Amino acid sequence: MNPLLAQFLAEANDLLAQVDEGLLQLERVPGDPELVNEVFRAAHTFKGSSGLFDFPELTRLTHAAEDLLDQVRSGRLALDSGMTDDLLAAFDLIRGWLAHVTTHERLPASAGTDAAGLITRLRAPLGGEAVTAVATTATSTATIDVAPEWLAWLDAEWLTETAGWLATTSSTMRFVRYFPDSDCFFRAEDPLHLVRQVPALERLGVVQPRVWPGPDDYDEYVCLLSFILATRASLGELEYLFRYVPDQVQIVELDSDAITRHLSGEPPLQVEAAVTAAVMPMIDSDLAADARALLHAAQSSLAVDDVVAGDTRLRSVVHAVASAARALGVPVNLTGADRATLLAEIDRLLGAAAPAPAGVAEDLSTAVAAPVPAAAVADAPGRADDPGGQVGTRVLKVDQEKVDRLMELVGELNVAKNGLTFLADAAEEEFGSRVLSRRIKDQYAGMHRIAEELQAAVMDVRMLPLSVAFGRFPRLVRDLSRRLGKTIELVTEGEDTMADKDVIEALGDPLVHLVRNSLDHGIEPSDERIAAGKPPAARLTLAAVADGDAVIVEVSDDGRGVDPERVKRKAYEKGLISEEELETLSESDAVNLVFRAGFSTADQVSDLSGRGVGMDAVRASVEKLGGSVTMRSKLGQGTFTRLRLPLSMAVTQVMVVSVAGQRFGIPVDLVVETVRVPAGEMGRVLHQDVVMMRGEVVPVIDLARALDMPWAPTPGEDRRILVVSVNSQRIGLLVEQFHREVDVILKPMEGLLAYADEFSGTALLGDGLVLLVLNMKEVLGLAARVA
Amino acid sequence: MTSDTPTRARVLVVDDAATVRMYHNSLLGEAGFEVSEAANGLEAVEAALGTPFDLYVVDVNMPKMNGYACVEALRSETVGTAAPIVMISTEDRPGDADRAYRAGANLYLVKPVAGDRLVRVATMLTADRSWAAEKDVAA
Repeated sequence: MNPLLAQFLAEANDLLAQVDEGLLQLERVPGDPELVNEVFRAAHTFKGSSGLFDFPELTRLTHAAEDLLDQVRSGRLALDSGMTDDLLAAFDLIRGWLAHVTTHERLPASAGTDAAGLITRLRAPLGGEAVTAVATTATSTATIDVAPEWLAWLDAEWLTETAGWLATTSSTMRFVRYFPDSDCFFRAEDPLHLVRQVPALERLGVVQPRVWPGPDDYDEYVCLLSFILATRASLGELEYLFRYVPDQVQIVELDSDAITRHLSGEPPLQVEAAVTAAVMPMIDSDLAADARALLHAAQSSLAVDDVVAGDTRLRSVVHAVASAARALGVPVNLTGADRATLLAEIDRLLGAAAPAPAGVAEDLSTAVAAPVPAAAVADAPGRADDPGGQVGTRVLKVDQEKVDRLMELVGELNVAKNGLTFLADAAEEEFGSRVLSRRIKDQYAGMHRIAEELQAAVMDVRMLPLSVAFGRFPRLVRDLSRRLGKTIELVTEGEDTMADKDVIEALGDPLVHLVRNSLDHGIEPSDERIAAGKPPAARLTLAAVADGDAVIVEVSDDGRGVDPERVKRKAYEKGLISEEELETLSESDAVNLVFRAGFSTADQVSDLSGRGVGMDAVRASVEKLGGSVTMRSKLGQGTFTRLRLPLSMAVTQVMVVSVAGQRFGIPVDLVVETVRVPAGEMGRVLHQDVVMMRGEVVPVIDLARALDMPWAPTPGEDRRILVVSVNSQRIGLLVEQFHREVDVILKPMEGLLAYADEFSGTALLGDGLVLLVLNMKEVLGLAARVA
Repeated sequence: MTSDTPTRARVLVVDDAATVRMYHNSLLGEAGFEVSEAANGLEAVEAALGTPFDLYVVDVNMPKMNGYACVEALRSETVGTAAPIVMISTEDRPGDADRAYRAGANLYLVKPVAGDRLVRVATMLTADRSWAAEKDVAA
């Protein structure tokens, strides 16, 4: 894709998001002039950029939307929800088109028909068609009347088809003849590569010389081929692409009629001859036209009566007039000129520069790419490759992959750095040099500090505000509440709270689920709310707050709440809890049963949140992030769901332990303590090893057995037990040895091992060993099965 | 033309649309200009205060400070430049051009401007830079 189009698509994304957000805010604060202005400007900027490409339907639809917004901006129209719907629909349609453009570099064929209805609706409040006339795009280049002779090289069948298609659409087709210079290879030009870059290419023909040179004369460094191509790309795009070789291309735009006449045998326009002959006068006439435009502009400037001598405006006018005179080749002396002298000089110059005689050359100039004035090219002292001194780049937009790559490198640096500690040990133990060992350790300390700072810096780059995750909800809540016929006010708090991009991304789905659930089941219809003595409009709150190295996201509503008795009964019916639990389970524990797999309270499955995949999916994805989810509810008053997530998932702190000589990592978050227990104090209750700790019985699981590894503790030696807390339950793990805690960058399991659920990932240690990090929940399940 | 001047002409492209900036930047850059960019009027004025430019290509509708206000600021004592200013806008309503000339622009063009035209005008307006440089003497 050419970089200009890529840039446009990236920019369009941001602008459309601004439009959407603004429109939704406007519904809440109708008529806020600041907001209207913002939306209008985003739409306007978008339209301006779209004009650089041949997307006529896109420009027309945007124009219609912009005109409507302009009326709202100037206060002539009040935005109602019907208009908002139409505007949102228009920009949704555009977004769809842009997705199509991303892959196909052209609008979908149905664009014209898709847009027609919307354009009519958008224009209806403006008084309809009268404005449409103004809206017709001014971007199209003049079509040339007669086909150039080289069109005959394109196959007639395709031309017939194209002529038929052009007759039914507002799209345009441009034909390019590209004659690469014979010594173009010496200027590092690659004609074939260039034509392959042509966007929306429909046809490409390679033209051979009529007579190839004989073997003795043949020079492989001379370019003998030329090209002919048909494209839907706009003139701007083509000029941009061929900007290095403007004098080697001819671009013509032909309408259906011209092609048909060409096919029926009309004598061709000798464009090549015409161009060669017309090149000089064309440059002249273009240059003269621009010079005249400058002079007319100068007249307008001088018509302003407060222009006085010494004013920067007057001096700039003098400069412009002098420039125009120079271009026209008419000598002037403007030193110390005042307004009257200037106006007289302009008159004289305009008289001297009477328009070029023939209209032919002028017409051609719009259809045939005119060479850039020789002076501009020849005098260019160098290529402006360096964008030095750019002003508009205070914020860098960086591809996510680059940041991920940086993070990976930081991880590798950490590993390499950790290698130094092993080297220090080796220096002392193997080579007996304590001094060298200490030096290495000093070096390590220095590197460690820098690596930590680097890591913190990279992590900081990855931080995004929660507003990214919250951004989709105003629209979602608006659309869903309309569909459900409920009135809901969405409140967001703490959008500025930052979290790692991975966390933000992974947060999206669970949040959508919770919000939909709330809208669908939690919030009552207005009449029910009024009957319950509540305000008819429900309130849904999304709030985020940072808490140490965690971020807490809360979704709360003032709906009907969750009935703990019903939940318990349902859970019992589904076999999720025992009869005893049905009696004893506390209300708050009962509410949290909704997170159990296979639980769904919806009496009727709606198209919003039903379908059985319920809150357990939320719990699973939150736990996958290393977080937790809890729900509190008061019957009749509302529900409150709290997600607790780590601020960042990139670095995990693990405790290293070993069994059977192999090391494993266990997330430090889970570790409660490490204890050594004399063998004699180990107990056994109902086939389960236990240990008494501060008056509490803690079950002990043999990690080696759970993982099916051959190891048994040496009889008589103290048992090493790592106490972890899983699901707020304390469990001891019998291990061979404790090692230190390390910071690792966890990589997910890949390939065949991807299905090994008992491991949450792997990490590289400083001594080159790969550490398997255990997924404690799964390991405990495994242990239960083994037992 | 530019051969008697030691440095390349410096152009400031002012537009809030990054795509348009890229388009103008590449056209002028290829033609040998030294191009800088600003995303709105305010940035343009800031940039001009830092180093003056030989030519300004300014969009009309921009956030923070629109094109007219930007041109007025460039011409006023704040910046005080007499360098040529070309305004480029999507607006083609009667009165828009006059407003641009009142603010101090030297040429008003309607988008999209053909690439060769922009380069031609820019080359014409920067061929002899002594007029703009006179400012230093006058001031």
